[in-house]
Amino acid sequence: MNQQTTSMSPENASGRLLNFHIFRYDPQQKGDKPRTEVYQLRETPGMTIFIALNQIRQQQDPSLQFDFVCRAGICGSCAMVINGLPTLACRTLTSKFKQGDITLMPLPGFELIGDLSVDTGKFMRELAERLKLWLHPHHHEIDVHSIEAPMAPEQAAALYELERCVECGVCVSACATKQMRETFVGAVGMMKIARFELDSRDGRTAEDFYHVIGNQDGVFGCMTLLGCQDNCPKDLPHMQQIAYLRRKMAATIL
Amino acid sequence: MKLIYTDSLVVGAGLAGLRVAIASKEQGLDTLVLSLIPAKRSHSAAAQGGMQASLGNTAKGMGDDEDVHFQDTVKGSDWGCDQKVARMFAHCAPKAVRELANWGVPWTRVTAGPRDVIVNAEKVTIEEAEAAHGLINARDFGGTKKWRTCYTADGTGHSLLYAVDNKAISMDIPVHERMEALRLIHDGKRCHGVIARCLVTGELRAYVAKATTIATGGYGRIYEVSTNAIICEGIGQALALETGVAALGNMEAVQFHPTAIVPVGILTTEGCRGDGGLLRDKDGYRFMPDYEPEKKELASRDVVSRRMTEHMRKGKGVESPYGNHLWLDITLLGKKHIDTNLREVKEICENFLGIDPVKEWIPVRPTQHYSMGGIRTDHTGESPQLKGLFSVGEAACWDMHGFNRLGGNSLAETVVGGMIIGKYVAEFCQHNSLEINTEIVDGALNAVNAEIDGLLTSLGKESAFQLKLEMQQVMMERVGIFRNGPELQQAVAALQALLKRSQQLGLQCKKRHANPELVEALRVKRMLKVALTVACGAAARTESRGAHAREDYPQRNDKEWLNRTLATWPDENALEPQLNYEALDVMAMELPPGYRGYGIDNAIAHPDTEAREQQITAILAALPKTATRQQKQQALMAFELPEELMPDNERLVDRLQPQQQLNLKK
Amino acid sequence: MNRKTHRVKWSGLLDLTQSISGILLAIFLWVHLCLVASILLGAEAMQWVAKTMELSFLSADGHGYPWVVTVMAVLIGVLILLHVLVALHKLPLTLKQQRALNKQMHVIPHEDTKLWRWQAITGVIVLLAAPVHLWLVGAAPETIGPYGSADRIWNQGGWLLYVPLLLAVELHAAVGIYRVVLKWGLAGDDMTRIQLRKAKSIASAIFILVGLASLVAFMPHAS
Repeated sequence: MNQQTTSMSPENASGRLLNFHIFRYDPQQKGDKPRTEVYQLRETPGMTIFIALNQIRQQQDPSLQFDFVCRAGICGSCAMVINGLPTLACRTLTSKFKQGDITLMPLPGFELIGDLSVDTGKFMRELAERLKLWLHPHHHEIDVHSIEAPMAPEQAAALYELERCVECGVCVSACATKQMRETFVGAVGMMKIARFELDSRDGRTAEDFYHVIGNQDGVFGCMTLLGCQDNCPKDLPHMQQIAYLRRKMAATIL
Repeated sequence: MKLIYTDSLVVGAGLAGLRVAIASKEQGLDTLVLSLIPAKRSHSAAAQGGMQASLGNTAKGMGDDEDVHFQDTVKGSDWGCDQKVARMFAHCAPKAVRELANWGVPWTRVTAGPRDVIVNAEKVTIEEAEAAHGLINARDFGGTKKWRTCYTADGTGHSLLYAVDNKAISMDIPVHERMEALRLIHDGKRCHGVIARCLVTGELRAYVAKATTIATGGYGRIYEVSTNAIICEGIGQALALETGVAALGNMEAVQFHPTAIVPVGILTTEGCRGDGGLLRDKDGYRFMPDYEPEKKELASRDVVSRRMTEHMRKGKGVESPYGNHLWLDITLLGKKHIDTNLREVKEICENFLGIDPVKEWIPVRPTQHYSMGGIRTDHTGESPQLKGLFSVGEAACWDMHGFNRLGGNSLAETVVGGMIIGKYVAEFCQHNSLEINTEIVDGALNAVNAEIDGLLTSLGKESAFQLKLEMQQVMMERVGIFRNGPELQQAVAALQALLKRSQQLGLQCKKRHANPELVEALRVKRMLKVALTVACGAAARTESRGAHAREDYPQRNDKEWLNRTLATWPDENALEPQLNYEALDVMAMELPPGYRGYGIDNAIAHPDTEAREQQITAILAALPKTATRQQKQQALMAFELPEELMPDNERLVDRLQPQQQLNLKK
Repeated sequence: MNRKTHRVKWSGLLDLTQSISGILLAIFLWVHLCLVASILLGAEAMQWVAKTMELSFLSADGHGYPWVVTVMAVLIGVLILLHVLVALHKLPLTLKQQRALNKQMHVIPHEDTKLWRWQAITGVIVLLAAPVHLWLVGAAPETIGPYGSADRIWNQGGWLLYVPLLLAVELHAAVGIYRVVLKWGLAGDDMTRIQLRKAKSIASAIFILVGLASLVAFMPHAS
């Protein structure tokens, strides 16, 4: 063999025993009821919830459902509630939990597919359609052969700051307002509106945006509980942006 | 059984797939996309660094054009690519970037005036032109003559994928999420769609379409450690392979990225080195200049990965519980730069390593990263063997990458290839009718049904998880960065043994719906076949070219191996693919094989090379002195594109007065 | 402006009204408490404050106009009503919503959300207790003063109303102001949020202490 390395796990690693308390429920299985099952696992250095869940599935229970895609904190697939905090499981190290007890629950506020898997995709797509979350350029026909229109470098940078949302659903699950009011658009929706509102290439006016979020399902339904701000894995400025939109929308009344 | 009809069916909702879907929908075609996951979760989002397009806005990109981009791409491919395709690509890349700006990608912009950058470990001040202010910026990447990689901070793939998916949503293109395509519906000549399984309900559906485009990405996960998302398992390639007709091209061409973090294999972008980051060994010594005095850390990826491996073999690697590694040092870039332009890298370091890259070095080593090989297509993206089957992006071997892909050319391929092939797909749909033979559809569906029944009732004792792990380990150990005959033979034998064992798979979880074990079992059988095309192709190719490095055949052998490997699997029960070769015609090349610029020039020349070089000189001499570079290029190797994409690209230099042009070039 | 736009804009108006009425009520509350706390300086001080509030300086006989207090009570009552009406639809009113909130708090016990739940609970307490208080003082404005108030508090069992009202209203007001500041982005970054939270807690604590001390200070004046 000629490669310098072969395996992800080091030899002779013997860490502490972790107890995973995992929510289990298969809504499609007749007679199945929500319950918590406990799995034990030996911790290895650098172990993440991603590694742990895969080990549990491979070695203990092949029916366990969960979602991972990039496993690098980029795609937003794996959000779940870990010991009471909604966050990305792939980049949560087990070493963070001193007690060795880790409770995993699916994200509330989304349709449950099974166990830890929820349907965030359907939610985000419906939201995008409802709020028209895409650029509405001033000119639809552009000449792709000619030099592009310039944009202030600062604006481009500011746009990317707001665009870092990975649609993981954490802000939605952490929002009690959303839980009580199903049609509420949540921070993810407002953050995206704020992104397009900032974009000089977007032709929509404040009045246009008011139609979309100037209501009880939008900025005026938000009670500033800040679950979004406090849990966003990308540290997006939800509080600041929602406040900005609220001022902007309120200003259209005057 | 549920039957769904559409005009243009796309399997895979990453950038390439979505772009093809958009092109179809633009022509008023009924379009439908299947995806394992929500579109915005696709692996395209992980491309941090950027996409190459010769805009030439930045000072360090002045003088760049399609010609330079084309040459870099061909050299990067180690002359293994299809040069016409590379031309089509280089020509359309600026168009794609500009189109994306109109779809919402913010692109990092040029700020006029002086700015400090790190080049070769030293601070250099470059002066950006007033006229370039606000235009799309570019950064340096490996293997390129100019700064050409357009980017959005270090979330380029993310911003592109979001913009393109938003565009698709605005066009009302349906994406059927959590649907896994398991079999192509075909009659040996014509592809009619796919049989797909819903990962939630387990329901099987037949999607019948005029054109079927596979855009499922690469097959990195046949390796145990890969930078790829865990869904990049080569199922798209397997779909084509299992038709027994469609061929996979250059499957042995697998790229290893120099800087994935240890141990988890998450990528840190090439932008780290492009922006001035260095590689260091266990003594903190910067070793790359010793091996590659000219390009140093920014040599082509395959070269840097091999040099790193060589250096570690000399005992210069840093020892760790997870094996040896080297250091990536970006501390010299400073906190501000890292916080804004390399933030994803910073987040990854903090979350997975618990270190701060502003102060500490990052443990890295070469890790499987990209699949140059894939479903072989012609320049329109269509399979030459199976009409109506298209492929695009990393899933395909359209073949602009040959045996090594340049950094920034994969993200570019998704949107540029999608733009071009999308037009061809739409054209195909407009000129062909939906052919429905229910017998063929039923046959395909029954086959998948029988396979699932077989697995659920099997009394076999083999575990899908175990087989997959063993396959991944074989690939890691025997089909890695450096390869040799005996080990490749061992790999082939081991994979064949695994393929045999996969007939004895048994499941603990017997659910027909939402069953992760069933998903794994269905995939592992397919992945093993894909892995065998890689291992067999590598064993057969007795030369070194690009990312395919044979210790026992260290020379690039143009005389015998200037060709493309084509792998098919005609006999379902066979234990290995059939390999054929498609020669690359030197006499049709714009850029005949030459020295790539790394290490010693030890290539065995192709007999036609000299003749073609003379012919090129003659052709150019025969042209009038006033001939433009476009006219010269057309004379050497005419290439075709859909008409809307043919116009020349305008650049900043074209708008400036001659005097200003002179100033810029200084 | 079309009809739809007009209808939609109510949401903004309601939200603004809630914030503004809340701010006004909080200001009134704190000023009111400061005035009542004059009892801590002695009966005379409070007597003077009470008379001044009745605009004694405007009347020829120096007795002032006790009905001014009644008018204030009515005004505050109206403001509270307005505040309640615009805030009510944000509370979990149906069983389904209450269940959803409980489940949410169980799965994700988030601090600021807990704070809001306390605000909602205290809001309901204030809603029940405040009208009684307003009725008592509004109906007999002439009795406000060191002796009349002391009598009401300690002899007629008023403290049973005032202690819970004080606790509830001071928590409610401080959390409310904290939320209004964040809601409209009057504070900047996260640091100020931490500082704001601290300021809010200190405000609640101080006003509750002052309020309790004042209640105790009335005791000697109860005959």
